[in-house]
Amino acid sequence: MRYSTTTLCAVVALATAAPVAMAQELPGSFDGVTIDAKLIGGQQYETLYSRIAEWEEATGATVNVISKKNHFELDREIKSDIATGQLSWCVGSNHSSFAPQYPGIYADLATLLPEDALADFVDANIQAATLGGKLVMLPRAQFDVSALYYQKDLYEDADNKSAFEAEYGYPLAVPETWDQVADQAKFFADAPNFYGTQYAGKEEAIAGRFYELLVANGGEFLNAEGEPAFNSEAGVEALQWFVDLYDAKAVPVGVPNYLWDDLGQGFASGTVALNLDWPGWASFFNDPDASRVAGNVGVAPPPKGSGDKRTGWSGFHGFSVTEDCANPEAAASLVWFLTNEDSQKLESAAGPLPTRDSVWTYVIEEAKGDDYRTEVLEAFQEAAATAFPVPQTPSWIEITNVLYPELQAAILGDKTPQEALDDAAKESTYILEDAGEL
Amino acid sequence: MDENATARLKKTASNWTLNVALFVAMAIICLPGLWIVLNSLRPTVEIMAKPPIWIPQSLSFDAYVAMFSGIGEGGIPVISYFRNSVIIAVTSTIISLAIGMSGGYAFARYRFKGKGGWFLGLMLTRAVPGIALSLPLFFLYARVGLIDTHAGMILAYTALNVPFTIWLIDGFFRQVPRDLAEAAQIDGCTRWQAFWQVEFPLARPGIASAGIFAFLTSWNEFALASQLTRSTDSKTLPVGLLDYTAEFTIDWRGMCALAVVMIIPALILTYAVQKHLVSGLTTGAIKG
Amino acid sequence: MKAWRLPPPVLLLLPAVIVLAAIVLLPLLLSLYSSFTPFRLTRPETIYDWVGFRNYERIFTDADFWIAFGRTVLLLTVALNLEMILGLGLAMLVERFTRGQRILRTILMFPMMFSPILVGFQFKFMFNDNVGLVNNALQSLGLTDQAIPWLIDGTLAFIAICVAEVWSSTSVFAIFILAGLMAMPRDPLEAARVDGCTPWQTFRYVTWPFLMPFAFIAMTIRSLDVARAYDIIKIMTDGGPAGRTEVLWTLIARTAYSDARMGMANAMAYVAILLSIAFTAYFFSQLGKARAQVAADW
Repeated sequence: MRYSTTTLCAVVALATAAPVAMAQELPGSFDGVTIDAKLIGGQQYETLYSRIAEWEEATGATVNVISKKNHFELDREIKSDIATGQLSWCVGSNHSSFAPQYPGIYADLATLLPEDALADFVDANIQAATLGGKLVMLPRAQFDVSALYYQKDLYEDADNKSAFEAEYGYPLAVPETWDQVADQAKFFADAPNFYGTQYAGKEEAIAGRFYELLVANGGEFLNAEGEPAFNSEAGVEALQWFVDLYDAKAVPVGVPNYLWDDLGQGFASGTVALNLDWPGWASFFNDPDASRVAGNVGVAPPPKGSGDKRTGWSGFHGFSVTEDCANPEAAASLVWFLTNEDSQKLESAAGPLPTRDSVWTYVIEEAKGDDYRTEVLEAFQEAAATAFPVPQTPSWIEITNVLYPELQAAILGDKTPQEALDDAAKESTYILEDAGEL
Repeated sequence: MDENATARLKKTASNWTLNVALFVAMAIICLPGLWIVLNSLRPTVEIMAKPPIWIPQSLSFDAYVAMFSGIGEGGIPVISYFRNSVIIAVTSTIISLAIGMSGGYAFARYRFKGKGGWFLGLMLTRAVPGIALSLPLFFLYARVGLIDTHAGMILAYTALNVPFTIWLIDGFFRQVPRDLAEAAQIDGCTRWQAFWQVEFPLARPGIASAGIFAFLTSWNEFALASQLTRSTDSKTLPVGLLDYTAEFTIDWRGMCALAVVMIIPALILTYAVQKHLVSGLTTGAIKG
Repeated sequence: MKAWRLPPPVLLLLPAVIVLAAIVLLPLLLSLYSSFTPFRLTRPETIYDWVGFRNYERIFTDADFWIAFGRTVLLLTVALNLEMILGLGLAMLVERFTRGQRILRTILMFPMMFSPILVGFQFKFMFNDNVGLVNNALQSLGLTDQAIPWLIDGTLAFIAICVAEVWSSTSVFAIFILAGLMAMPRDPLEAARVDGCTPWQTFRYVTWPFLMPFAFIAMTIRSLDVARAYDIIKIMTDGGPAGRTEVLWTLIARTAYSDARMGMANAMAYVAILLSIAFTAYFFSQLGKARAQVAADW
């Protein structure tokens, strides 16, 4: 056993030295190789892992899953691994929002895989997965961008239509801009029984929502020099949107403590009119066993901000190969296999969005005849077209941790939006300076 | 006559008040538990309903069936988690009892220099919060290869439990009169035999109560387990709860079902050891 | 030969000392060292930079830290006292029953079987302002037509956290005090009744002094074990919103892992450990006094 691994190492070393000569057939053959993998756990993600057995059969290698945890626990674990130098495992689940935090531990997949293996991926996704010129992860069919879910019958009700037009001076229709969302949310709200809309109120969640509205309003988070620039006019306008809805009681009074699960459950309970949310909830909302609003759900692309741009904070899950991996070719083959066309078809069948052009075409074709699914896919495809990732700084998560308490302070009225954003910008500057980015 | 009747009436009334008070208190204690059981049996649409549905309309064991089915059908490796939890909690309880007995006996039966200081020192190791321990412990474990192993978890929980087991068991040995063991030794027993045949049976209730505390602590611990376990080789049930959360979603019903699976063994064990528990704690406390 | 044999108490204590030294002391020394460095998880080489007391200096001038510190002390004081009073009441109610005690005692211990993380999820959901059990019940009973922001308002969130903490830990007190009640000799009670004491006097001057050691043991165990509360708060509010429920443990955990600033987090942890040691040592000394009192009386 020991002997064979050593030979293999030699072969691999040769192969990496001359990647062109390799120009391998994927998935390739890796008899006797063992790949240690850290995968994200949870029901939504595990269907894909049944494909691992097929890869093992095709290549003769074995995959040893050494860790399976949720998103945030895995992040903690990888940070602990970096701190203790335990990076000899090969394949790890990764996320586009977290990837910039792990500088240098992941290998460039563009050199490990032939060029045509990457051609089918959505360009924007590949760009977001490329950090400092290195393609650090391949996206799986777990692309996340938000669209606007709404209760259809509210827009069909004649009383609503006339009352709304009388009050706001324009006809009631599914909102195209965030200002319209605010008007309609206030119009529909009847606290504590019914709310116009809602938003996540803490951690990266609200920081991300603020960030996308800032961009949609024409602002930028970090300026060209990399300094925090979110305390601009566009930033204040964005934060004011959150504050106004909270003051008008158009959102549940508990939102500053809400995370994604609270939002999804809230909309499913039928007590919320409009809900900007992720694709993972689409089938849940329309399932009569899970949701009160099943059959009454409409989906529209995310509205635009004052800069005439749609909000579109996006992210995706994927897989990376470590620099310390003893068998990078085999690991890259596994990563490719788990993100190839068949894998993405399998995964997106359950609802998540793909990251390959061919699979987008395929799922839309498959959805023909299912009106709801078609509506969902069209809305999200539109959203994906204008989506953008988080600012690509290793300090993003750390900045969100100083930003969100300030956003909350403004929402709860402890500070004015300008004060809150100025304070957050000051703290973010310290973080960036400490990290040597400024 | 009249006075007597009033007094009796008063007594019955106050008795009833106290009974009602007890009933209310017990209801408050049980309610969250029953609520979890109920939620594990009904669909999410009912759990999240507003206006609320107080009387359940459709009950099913779907969540439990799903939990045990394969990956991709809503299943989680619950059998592995359960096995890990049992192995880790039981073994670490037994080891901490053994160490606690030997340590407790030393404090109860011998005089030595700095005894009070040693005792307080041992207790204070428990004051270190798990969150402060988790990373340095991870460092050490990574060096010696104990990450994601049963042995590593058992060792950690043993350290967590030893201070309390020593304390409780110390109290019980103090309670057993010295003369008994001495008499046995005069009758020809060795010190070792005297311990097992005379002192141990008398202190058994204390050992049982220390055991149940240790077991419950290990069974429910989360902070250390989430740092030191990684795969189904060693993940325990509390860590498994997080399998029902994804980046954006949470399966509340499934989580409740797993919670029920977690609570039942603890409940059965506590009921079984119950008899010893209270009589056990009784003696330990006073004669410090 | 004999000189080489360890005395029995040393031998008997050795296993405990070895385990605790390996699992608690050694890691603590490591984290003590790192609290003098700017150690960041994502940049391992920073563990070799020695910055002296800089982390501690920053902590001592950091208002947010001291507010969290004060809130932690307040939470501990309120929760431990409430638990003690409620535990005493519960124990006295249960003690009156001669039949069905085993069932009652098992129910009494029910909350101890809930993993703290589960308690957190459960109470977070119950206190949800929109679909939570508490607001639903209050609204159904017509007590309020508002959605009460349980986890948002600083005071209400503090109350909600206290409720969760008290629910999960009153059992410990109840069980210990119940043990004390059952061990109590009957003669002094009888004597007090003959002397014409009111029930309150009997309780105050006979029962309570006898129960004190039990209450303090429970106090000590709980104050040693307070980090349990971390799991609950982490899930319920994680210190938010806008830092209104920030306690030491949530602050430390976020600094350590989310911000990856482990050196700073360890310095904070050391200040937090001093706090628990102070609490524990105080209860320990009270326990000693109470025991001496009982020993003198009986």
